[in-house]
Amino acid sequence: MLSAGGIQVRTVMPIADRVANLNRWRRKSLIEKATLALGMLALALLLPPFPAAPVIAAIMTGAALIGARAPAKAWLALAAAPLGFLFAGAAVLTVQIDAGGLSLAPNGFAVAAALIARSIAGLTCLLFLALTTPVTDLVAGLRRLGLPVEVTEVALLTYRFLFLLADTAMAMDAAQAARLGHDGFERRLRSLGLLAANLLPRAMDRARRMEIGLAARGWEGEMRVLPQQAKLSVIGLTAVLAVEAATAAIGVFLS
Amino acid sequence: MTLLEARGLTYSYPGEVLALNSLSLKVTRGRRLAILGPNGAGKTTLLLHLNGTLRPGSGQVFLDGAAVSYSRAGLSAWRRKVGLVLQDAEDQLFAASVAEDVSFGPLNLGLSEQEAHLRVEETLAALNIAGLAERPPHMLSFGQKKRVAIAGAVAMRPDVLLMDEPTAGLDEHGTAHLLATLEKLEEAGTTLVFATHDVDLAYSFADEVALFGDGKVLAQGEAAHVLSDWTLLKQSRLKIPLILGLGLKARACGLLSNEAALPRSRRDIEILLEQAAAVIEGRSVPMRLK
Repeated sequence: MLSAGGIQVRTVMPIADRVANLNRWRRKSLIEKATLALGMLALALLLPPFPAAPVIAAIMTGAALIGARAPAKAWLALAAAPLGFLFAGAAVLTVQIDAGGLSLAPNGFAVAAALIARSIAGLTCLLFLALTTPVTDLVAGLRRLGLPVEVTEVALLTYRFLFLLADTAMAMDAAQAARLGHDGFERRLRSLGLLAANLLPRAMDRARRMEIGLAARGWEGEMRVLPQQAKLSVIGLTAVLAVEAATAAIGVFLS
Repeated sequence: MTLLEARGLTYSYPGEVLALNSLSLKVTRGRRLAILGPNGAGKTTLLLHLNGTLRPGSGQVFLDGAAVSYSRAGLSAWRRKVGLVLQDAEDQLFAASVAEDVSFGPLNLGLSEQEAHLRVEETLAALNIAGLAERPPHMLSFGQKKRVAIAGAVAMRPDVLLMDEPTAGLDEHGTAHLLATLEKLEEAGTTLVFATHDVDLAYSFADEVALFGDGKVLAQGEAAHVLSDWTLLKQSRLKIPLILGLGLKARACGLLSNEAALPRSRRDIEILLEQAAAVIEGRSVPMRLK
């Protein structure tokens, strides 16, 4: 549960995190999933948008929703914001302003359609990765790729504490609201200031207690834990590469 | 055999009155010890002294009969033998997943990755949380976090496990589950020490009670003995445990002979009531509670 004292943290990050940890492809190797997502992303960027982009979008959405069984609701919640930006941005491409004023751009619809198709294809690739692979796995992968352990350690601790901090902030916010701290704009602003000011000492306090806890378990400056590694499936990876090759072929020969 | 001993510990936080005031305490192998005191009595401060996190202003801690050393090597050896579980599990869980978090201690012990992996698996199984191995800590319930925090300490196989309010915030089911798990750990050779303000828990679960008051241990001994001392209880601002109180009352009324053991559980009280009912009806029943 993403709750402290019964208060749910309702933002997009926890949704993604939850699904990433509980989906059916959680245990598939990072290499398979990253090869699929990043490979398809590269194809979406390199190939002519039609028909490659719709094909990629269909495959990656299918992989996320049917393959990994990520809930469609979560997928939509994550896709909503980028899609909004995309359509607003693409709409602008259909018109032009010149001496004659505002008019439809020649080719405007074609350009906008290409942009939308390509962006959606790219988006589905990243959504697939975000919904099937927990951040911690991604960071572990970066570590194996050679990112220094100091950096990955800080990244993971930050990630862990984000949730704690968000929980604390939500609890404090609810406590303020319960005592009418949100009535009126000025009071709301004041409450927010107090909350922000109190988060820091609390975070420091927690850090100090955590240090005690770590020291009790023999910590002497290095945070070593056993990483979990999923077995790379040769069949899985071959399938991924085959799908990518087929997509590339369709994209090149049918365009 | 005394595993851990505090003699005359004195400690004060900056700008405060004495938190510990010439406190002495003994942890005996295989004897469950409850450090009992009200909120703010200094129980946590004491636990932090017992694993070397805090250093006393005066007095000394002894581990296996020898005075402890606060050198890096001394502390390391100390913490191999004495594990500590903080009250708020959230303060202890730092890693990305349960299995990773529990592997932290074993790796610090210098175990190989393979040994550490085995250790993690065994510990998670022993605490009935094997199914949570891959969960990130923020996706655990309160009770689950508590178990994971305990697993983190237990995976190091300490001789003594110090726990700060292990049942605080747990519901009845969670508490029963946790205590059963702790009993298993004890069978495997870990001596349990826990700080609590819950007199009923101390009476029903601990062999020995150290009663905390005014920054020192007012008395340490058999749970039933210490907890039936009204004067001491008053001094440490605690009440007599419900079941013990009923048992003493039964004794005062002649329902229980002076030699008979006092009841320790709800079941014992039920038996006592059955006997009382039988006496009233004039039936004779086998005295099951001796």
